[in-house]
Amino acid sequence: MKTYELTIDHELCWGCKTCEVACKQENRSADGIKLISVSEEEPQIVDGKLDFRYKVIVCRHCDDPPCAAVCPDEAIGKRDDGIVVMDYEICTGCRFCIDACPYDAIAFDEDERIARKCNLCHHRVDQGLIPACADNVCLAHCIHFADSNTDEN
Amino acid sequence: MAEFVFSNAAREMEVYGYDSVVKSHCRMCHGGCGVLIYTKNGKVAKIAGDPGCPINHGTLCSKGIASHQLAYHPDRLTYPVRRVGPKASGQWEHISWDEALDTIAERILDYKEKFGAESIVMGYGTGRENEAVIYRFANLLGTPNVLTAGHFCYGPRIATSIITCGSNPIVDYENHPKCIMVWGNNLVISNPDCSKGEPFSVSVNKGAKIIAVDPRLTRIAARADVWLQLRPGTDTALALGMLNVIVNEKLYDQEFVNKHVYGWDPFVERVNDYPPDKVEEITWVPRNKIREAARLFASTKPAAIQLGVAIEQQVNCADNNRALMALMGITGNIDVPGGQVLFSTPKIRNVGQFGAHRMLPHEQSLKRVGGDRFRLAGNFAIINPKCVWDAILKEEPYPVKMLFFISSNPVMTRANAKEVYRALEKVEFMAVSDFFLTATAELADIVLPAATWLEMDYIGDFWKRHGYILPRRKVIQVGECRSDHEMLNDLAHRVGQGEYWWDTFEGGLDYILEPMGITWQEFKKLDHIRGEVRYRKYEERGFSTPTKKFELYSTLLENWGYDPLPKFREAPESPVSTPELYKKYPYILITGARSPGFFHTENRQVPWLRELHRDPLVEIHPETAKKECINEGDWVEIESPRGKVRQRAKIFAGIDPRVISAQHAWWFPEKKDPGHGWDESNVNILTDNAYNTCDPAMGATSVRTLLCKIHPEAR
Repeated sequence: MKTYELTIDHELCWGCKTCEVACKQENRSADGIKLISVSEEEPQIVDGKLDFRYKVIVCRHCDDPPCAAVCPDEAIGKRDDGIVVMDYEICTGCRFCIDACPYDAIAFDEDERIARKCNLCHHRVDQGLIPACADNVCLAHCIHFADSNTDEN
Repeated sequence: MAEFVFSNAAREMEVYGYDSVVKSHCRMCHGGCGVLIYTKNGKVAKIAGDPGCPINHGTLCSKGIASHQLAYHPDRLTYPVRRVGPKASGQWEHISWDEALDTIAERILDYKEKFGAESIVMGYGTGRENEAVIYRFANLLGTPNVLTAGHFCYGPRIATSIITCGSNPIVDYENHPKCIMVWGNNLVISNPDCSKGEPFSVSVNKGAKIIAVDPRLTRIAARADVWLQLRPGTDTALALGMLNVIVNEKLYDQEFVNKHVYGWDPFVERVNDYPPDKVEEITWVPRNKIREAARLFASTKPAAIQLGVAIEQQVNCADNNRALMALMGITGNIDVPGGQVLFSTPKIRNVGQFGAHRMLPHEQSLKRVGGDRFRLAGNFAIINPKCVWDAILKEEPYPVKMLFFISSNPVMTRANAKEVYRALEKVEFMAVSDFFLTATAELADIVLPAATWLEMDYIGDFWKRHGYILPRRKVIQVGECRSDHEMLNDLAHRVGQGEYWWDTFEGGLDYILEPMGITWQEFKKLDHIRGEVRYRKYEERGFSTPTKKFELYSTLLENWGYDPLPKFREAPESPVSTPELYKKYPYILITGARSPGFFHTENRQVPWLRELHRDPLVEIHPETAKKECINEGDWVEIESPRGKVRQRAKIFAGIDPRVISAQHAWWFPEKKDPGHGWDESNVNILTDNAYNTCDPAMGATSVRTLLCKIHPEAR
């Protein structure tokens, strides 16, 4: 049984935002709706050095997804392979999931009046393709898609 | 970690029902990355990196992916137009290519006859892989005046490296430097010339030590082993301070110095003028950090310096480059694996040969504007922009009557933008070739619709120094757009240059490739060609300089009347050089920090890219923001002795409280009036271009370091 996961090594991220545009190209989400985004953290002194990192904000496909638990319409479900999928046909736009997500990874589409989030390009994964953001676009090589049972090394 | 995992292109074709996938070569910046272009129903549907390309290994940047949004943008100019109202009235009529090119040809021939070919100035912006064809046209026409970014971008690297060691030393990431000194550069989000961000990332991930020299905390600086946060504009002093440590602690490569450098003794004397305590005073960098960085760089082999344009847009442009080359040279990192290599291009006609510089009559070359003032630039066919504005506005030293800008938006990108605008308003005739009606194009008489890289055949990267050439293959046709190469090939026939050109530009591509014995049709079936890779070539044949040595002491600069050794000059406007002005303008303003998605003035109308940055941002330290009553996101006014502009405040602790960092090249294509907001946030309203503020050898304008004040915008 495959269980997929998206791993991001934040130490390596340079903040180039290529993943954001790769996602746009694949999912064509509307202007202002980002299913993946890169944010800049505030510089802080760490071990006597000024430091900051970029943080990639995207659905983590949690083991026990709080967004699915609060959805009154059961529009969000975790598949057997680990991918948490939001069904836009079912979503009624109540926004409970947006509040429940601990990672700020769910957006609200003002035009369609529904929530949007990363579905890990399951339409690609099901066809043997890699999600757009992890398809070797990242010049830092910091985003990887893998079968967590077999691909770790 | 699993690297280089990517989807299978054949499966991608099958799943999405694409009609074709074409390998090509992106040029959303200066070129570089290999791409796969998927098409459906005759249109580009998806762009991905080419995993087989040695430049980017399948990775890409936001610009490359969004190229099809640029190509199919609804505002794109897709046919030639002629202005029918006053300048900047936005009144245009559609004309045919024949009419457009005949009109331009007629003006060219008329001005040439009446005022000399030098009265016609050709121009391009930053390198868009059309430079060789533009120089060819200008040289055959007989004008020595080609106005480019070359005075303060890349041109200085080429000119100073040729006079120092014969060619531009490129970081050899393929052999993984063990120490990389990243000097005023952020290649992971910018538009680097030769090596791209991906191979740099791999070298860093393999454990290369990083020394970052930057007034701002970039992520590279945050990850660095040593970050030198210098006072802006003091790079030469810092480099000379490091050289002082390396020389006095005998950390240099003695064999290389003994056998291969020229001018060691006077060089040592010069670096002895820059002991670390004095350099600390100049640069704000603590002496211990200068020593630490110098020792790390000199004792780690191989080591390399990743530099970029920031050091060139200063009064110390040439000497910044030369001081950094001295660091590469005396540490023995020149032309060694994992160091900095003088790569050989494949055996083709190179940009210099194709550019037909030898066809420019000598008496015409003597007329190059500013050639007697900026003699290093002049010897590399590069001019300082103000020389052109003066020739238009004051007719000094002679009148310039016509401008022909190809992929250039000088009202945004050249210093002292108000003067640029006045010159463009006054010039008698101006033609422009571009993708959109920019604020510059709105002042033109005729605007030609330029093709994007998706719409042309070309030999990608043939001007670069990394040794690769890669085919760029035409995939689509948009409207009546033509590549600059095809356009100039056609125009050349109309001004009597036909014998040096071809029926179509494919003939030009064949001409470039001819010495290798292949044609474009054969080349385009290949993935890439690389020149022969050999190291330490100087051991057999010396360096290609007058002394055959690595010239720490430049005999050519000396001949041209300049100091043959690098020295530090204070920025023309600074707390030190203009203390009275500093009381009124109490912050050092730096400009031009790069944002992913944009390439200078480009892409602000491309939705996926503009979404990355809605507004121009100015970075202000939290203490400074508090002092000036500025909150995050406020619109603020930034004012210099030349004028003021507005940008939005980003409170950022990664910058010195005495320094402000404003973004460059911001205009607002969404504003439909013909100005398109060119003067609202344009940092070049603030910059200066007076001759005495420019690099004396290269004519570089000092746009990176000036003085400003800043305050919240009145609500």
